[in-house]
Amino acid sequence: MAIEWDEEKIAGFREKLRQAKALPTLPGIVSKLTQMVEDPSVSADRIGRVIAKDQILAAKLLKLVNSAFYGFPGRISTVSSAVILLGFNVVRSLVLSASIFEAMEKTVVGLWEHSLGCAAIANVIARRLSINDPEEISTAALLHDIGKVVIRENLAEEAAVLDEAILGENISLYEAEQRILKINHTQVGQRLCRHWNLPDRLAEPIAYHHEPKKSANHYVSTAIVHVADVLVRARGFGFGGDKWVPALDHNAWAALTLREEDLPGLIAEAEEVLVELRGFSFEIQTLGEKCPPAIES
Amino acid sequence: MPARHRVLIIGKGDKPGKEQEYLFEAKGYQIISSPTFKKAMDTIFNDPPDLILVMADMQDKVELEMVQAVKGGIYCAHIPFIIALSREAISTGIEWEQYPVDDFISKPIDYTELFARMSLCFERMQRVFDNNPLTRLPGNTSILKTIQAALDAGEEVAIGYVDIDNFKPYNDRYGFSRGDEVIRMVAMLLTNILRETDTRKVFAGHVGGDDFSFMVPSDRATQVCEKIISSFDALVKNLVDKDDLKRNYFVARDRQGNEQHFPLPSLSIAVVSNHNNRFRHYGEVAEAATQIKKHLKSLEGSNYLIDRRKPSD
Repeated sequence: MAIEWDEEKIAGFREKLRQAKALPTLPGIVSKLTQMVEDPSVSADRIGRVIAKDQILAAKLLKLVNSAFYGFPGRISTVSSAVILLGFNVVRSLVLSASIFEAMEKTVVGLWEHSLGCAAIANVIARRLSINDPEEISTAALLHDIGKVVIRENLAEEAAVLDEAILGENISLYEAEQRILKINHTQVGQRLCRHWNLPDRLAEPIAYHHEPKKSANHYVSTAIVHVADVLVRARGFGFGGDKWVPALDHNAWAALTLREEDLPGLIAEAEEVLVELRGFSFEIQTLGEKCPPAIES
Repeated sequence: MPARHRVLIIGKGDKPGKEQEYLFEAKGYQIISSPTFKKAMDTIFNDPPDLILVMADMQDKVELEMVQAVKGGIYCAHIPFIIALSREAISTGIEWEQYPVDDFISKPIDYTELFARMSLCFERMQRVFDNNPLTRLPGNTSILKTIQAALDAGEEVAIGYVDIDNFKPYNDRYGFSRGDEVIRMVAMLLTNILRETDTRKVFAGHVGGDDFSFMVPSDRATQVCEKIISSFDALVKNLVDKDDLKRNYFVARDRQGNEQHFPLPSLSIAVVSNHNNRFRHYGEVAEAATQIKKHLKSLEGSNYLIDRRKPSD
């Protein structure tokens, strides 16, 4: 099966991106957060910590706080800052108005786990390197594959063709996107960042996590997200869309000034976090099965 | 021709028909519709309309809470809400303190009356909101009134004065529009933290420039100050350029025009407590706070101090 992607079709998709509607979230996350916001003793901080585990809700919050209306366009780069600025009531309304994935595919859960794992490992690396704001880097890592979610949600037919190409031709998702859609998920992510006024500190790692050398102003953050992406794929945590481990950019690795003997310690630390995340993911999936869409209108 | 007012209509039930839509057009209103509250939230927060007309019966608790969220924040509180009510609902009585709306109209809707009410809403908003145009927080008159009322009632309140250290050099280095961002940030975090800490009487006001004032029950003062400071210190990182953040200082000119290193902006919070009815008059509160502030200003970084002296001290 072939889909012809001409200029017109690409332009149409770009227009769709510009108007990108609310993207769906995992039902389990929505149930958990809905329970939390109903509980008067739960603080905004705690809700923020759960939102920081979901790429879609985190993006939604950052998009809102960086909109011209709130007066900080392109400035706010962490979920915790967004939560403080927007306040409990606004965050609560956003959670209650979140839409959920109607049909839960394995790939959706896999992609969420991949993003979550990447965020955790990026955080471990950033802390090792004593980087000023590790939360900012984990946010960038959490959002790095947002383009993949957008493609799956807006182009269901093409997504099936991409999956076929990956299996049939033994190529990576990135290559398949490039060949079939003529636009890849990093470019989609970059466009979203622009439409949503997200700061460059987030936009560059999202846009260049496959080609860190293109990052002009935030090379270290981009390099960390790149390395975390490779590590989490190599570890086999979650599902990035294909079975391949992306090639490591050696300059990016070198830029992190990590020595090879640092690696075992780093992996051990990351492993601990991943085990915890596995438990969280299990909880979310069980919640998702138990609670059918609670508030759909 | 002035920009048209955008009116968001929520609810499918008694949506205006084609004929009424022309009426809206003729009056200079542009209609956006949304079948449910849930669907409308994105529009309200991201691309706020000038007025919201609620046609749906707000039976759902969640819907009511969404209205409260919009009216309770500082950024959307100025959007007028008009709800359409059935005669029956009006006659059974509405608990207005639960409904933070600005006006209502009875169903079936008389559109001539609706338009009159809508223009009245816009006029009233203009009058009511003589708040600070930058932060939309109440200004000096409201601050004075609120604090004096609490003193007169003999309430155990703590009154805090917040100002931003190194604000002037920050403004010089980054430009006033980014200075405004810092001010707006303080306004938002103050409002949110106060409301989240206590459901009793809390208040935040904007004295002017980089000076703010707040009021909170005395037993919450420490908690509020700590939260304000930790939030500010985390947030300010978002508003400082990467290189300055790395150096942990920035270069600007001091009052004499000499280049100097300045630490990143921080907060000083001077708090006085009306313990044992220590104060009679607002002026005494301000004076006591000024003394504490002098001391705080000489310290590095973000600091707060709560003065709990009794009248005899």
